[in-house]
Amino acid sequence: MARRTLSLRVNGKRRRVSVEPDEPLLWVLRDELRLTGTKFGCGLGQCGACKVLIDGRPIWSCMTPVEAVADGREIVTIEGLGQPGNLSPVQEAFKTHTAFGCGFCTPSMIIEATALLRDTPRPTRAQIVARMNGHLCRCAAYPNIIAAIQSAAASGDGGEEA
Amino acid sequence: MALSRRRFLYGLGGTGLIFVFDLSCARETPTPPVLLPAEGDDEEALVAAATSARFDYRGWLVIAGDGTVTAHTGRMELGQGLKTVLYDVICQAFELPREKVELIMGDTALCPNDGPTTGSNATRGVAWRYWMACHAVKSRLLDEAARRLSVAREELVYRAGEISVRDGTRRPLGIGRIGTGVRELSEADLESAAGDLPSYVDKQNPSVEAEAIVTGTKQYAGDVMAGECLYGAFLLPDYHAPRTRLLSLDLSPAEEVPDVVRVDRLGDSVAAVGRTFTAVQKALAAVAAEWQAPPYPPDFDNETEIRRRRKLSRMIRDKGDVEGALAASDHVVTESFVTQYATPAPIETHTAVAAASRRETTAWVATQNPFQARERIARTLEVPEERVRVVGMPPGGGFGEKASGSVGDRAAALSSLVGKPVKFVYSRRAHFQQDLKYKHSVVLDITTGVSSEGKILVRTIDFHQGHGRGTRKLYEVPAERSRLFRSEIGVQNAIMRGTSYTQTIYALESHTEMVARSIGLDAIEFRRRNVSESAFLPLLDRCAEMLGYGVDLPPGRGHGFGICYHGVHQYAVVGAEVAVDRTTGEITVTKLRGAYDIGKVMNRNTATMGIKGAMIWGLSYALFEEARFDAHRSHMEAFADYRIPRFADIPEIEIDFLQTHRPEVPRGCGEVPVPPTVAAICNAVYDATGRRFYTLPMTPERVRTALSR
Repeated sequence: MARRTLSLRVNGKRRRVSVEPDEPLLWVLRDELRLTGTKFGCGLGQCGACKVLIDGRPIWSCMTPVEAVADGREIVTIEGLGQPGNLSPVQEAFKTHTAFGCGFCTPSMIIEATALLRDTPRPTRAQIVARMNGHLCRCAAYPNIIAAIQSAAASGDGGEEA
Repeated sequence: MALSRRRFLYGLGGTGLIFVFDLSCARETPTPPVLLPAEGDDEEALVAAATSARFDYRGWLVIAGDGTVTAHTGRMELGQGLKTVLYDVICQAFELPREKVELIMGDTALCPNDGPTTGSNATRGVAWRYWMACHAVKSRLLDEAARRLSVAREELVYRAGEISVRDGTRRPLGIGRIGTGVRELSEADLESAAGDLPSYVDKQNPSVEAEAIVTGTKQYAGDVMAGECLYGAFLLPDYHAPRTRLLSLDLSPAEEVPDVVRVDRLGDSVAAVGRTFTAVQKALAAVAAEWQAPPYPPDFDNETEIRRRRKLSRMIRDKGDVEGALAASDHVVTESFVTQYATPAPIETHTAVAAASRRETTAWVATQNPFQARERIARTLEVPEERVRVVGMPPGGGFGEKASGSVGDRAAALSSLVGKPVKFVYSRRAHFQQDLKYKHSVVLDITTGVSSEGKILVRTIDFHQGHGRGTRKLYEVPAERSRLFRSEIGVQNAIMRGTSYTQTIYALESHTEMVARSIGLDAIEFRRRNVSESAFLPLLDRCAEMLGYGVDLPPGRGHGFGICYHGVHQYAVVGAEVAVDRTTGEITVTKLRGAYDIGKVMNRNTATMGIKGAMIWGLSYALFEEARFDAHRSHMEAFADYRIPRFADIPEIEIDFLQTHRPEVPRGCGEVPVPPTVAAICNAVYDATGRRFYTLPMTPERVRTALSR
């Protein structure tokens, strides 16, 4: 294959990239668009560290060819949720609850939790666990992550972007 | 960016004061004598090897002209909260806001070589020493200000970065304007500061990294030079045969892959460099390489071979009349335990970026040990260490595995091959296959003799592999013999969170409850009668209370405990409640409770997160983790092949801190929760099922088989 110019919609902005069409979205985000908050953990959809929102649904960017999300699909990465000093409610809750150790898996945890609270504004603990279960955190900050999501849900508009 | 440490010191020396002090207390406990060399088989030997780089073990505090206080440390933030605690310490000691404090970590050009970040000694060793040093610095600043202003020192007061005269006759003097140059703080200075050290107050600040982490802006090694450098990777023969010769090679299919810049043979491996991560992976997949299979040893049964090949390494303890005490005991219990091989498996694979040349090389490495990475890069490039700068990047999980490793030197070799900066991100498969080291399998034979009154009279332990640590300061044992055997098995052993205490405490504390049951004593009461350290007594009571111990549980449920003494005065008691499904063999941990006496808690937010995480590590070691390999290679390629904990595995966890022993000083908490959690879960499973599992992990298959017998 050869490089092609594709148009992407990322965090509300139109971006043009020249890439191999089967290049996983993850590496396009990281290297072409310098959105490095989305992480590589396994490349196989087994750890969840690479998840981003595509049309509002959390998807493994490591397994999504970039051409599949070009032309109008709405891609949201962690950078699109909030910035230092202007955190989204979920980000704020993760901060307050120290819902991380090293922080490597945190952006994708926040992506998934944001989508969860949008779908289910008042999730039970079991619903949180079922939805988050595909995300691995080797520091095992799990109890704090669950508490953070519960607190973001309790505070109301957890799912809305700031 | 050629910035020698010396030049850095002179550069800053002109504008402020640099205080240098000894940090050697932060070193790992000295290695006890080992009779047989431990061929890659011993955690302590690994720590010693990791610390071989000429450590100067110094702390640096720099007061800049504008009054900013900067600490320079080679230690790394791993998620344990060291960065937060160091900020808290310096801000509080100097009464400064965060904006007036800076921290430079892990940069070999800017930091003293104060050791690798392992073994949970960072808060007790480094942060507390900084707390003392900050107060010693303040005292020295007062001395120098007194001379400078020609007033008696008693007339001066320090407050929030300024020194003023009590009578208010002069304008306050900022601490950045008191003097210039390098000052050595002696041990006497630090001890004198320690003499009337104010109480450190945990203000429960949020992690200093929180905003960066939750917004995805914290920089890891893989984020360096995004989109501005090439990617590289190596094709290597699989792990067990690191020196296998390359017989035939066809690189041409790899050269056809778009975006590939270079594919070349480097020694007995193949290096590929390309414009994207994906291109490099595709290129290596396309390489046709045949390696000469070395004369592999036949597959072996681990426990059998460990026993068969054993050689006495040393007598760990030999006191009292062991044979006599065994004969005099009312009950004697003998058991053997075997632990599995395990691996740290961080989510971030090994990662580094290097910009190498003969003149100067800079490498950004995900590491717990930047100075060792520098040493390895210099050796690989055959240049003096002074020409290599390693910027240690905070790992996306290390857990011991990133305290050593070759990703930095391999990235440097790739960069040197193409003459451009190269990023090397291990694929998950490579991470699970190449350079993989394993937390070692230990075989423990334990015998305990007790009186019918429930007092331990005698204990013997034979350790096979490991180094026999973890039994001290738990129980009063009048007669005791413990021996350490080593067996040459040819597996590289890793440092891994929980240290080798995990294996010891799993066995010893499982055994403790079996001994208690042999004389019909309750698990808490038996420990109360036998613990050697009174610090355990309130912890036992508190943990039993938190667990709700003593009430009757429904069938298939059970309670169990484990205790641990680790490092310097870290005491832990963990209790577990489990539910066992006899049909599926599934064990569900429903409650974990931990009572800890770890002295001063420096930051409750980061400490609590770390302790709960460590308890989950214990749960995972008891139930899930098992690294599989054969004589040829690792059988793990993905997380699907190595089970680590997930959300659905997480029980309710509650912890409490009791401070009965020197409550003013922190003593560390990163490792001590892991070992007793393993034992507590094993004991709870016994309580629920009447079955003792002498091999870990307790997988559904093993449990089902055992319960159907």
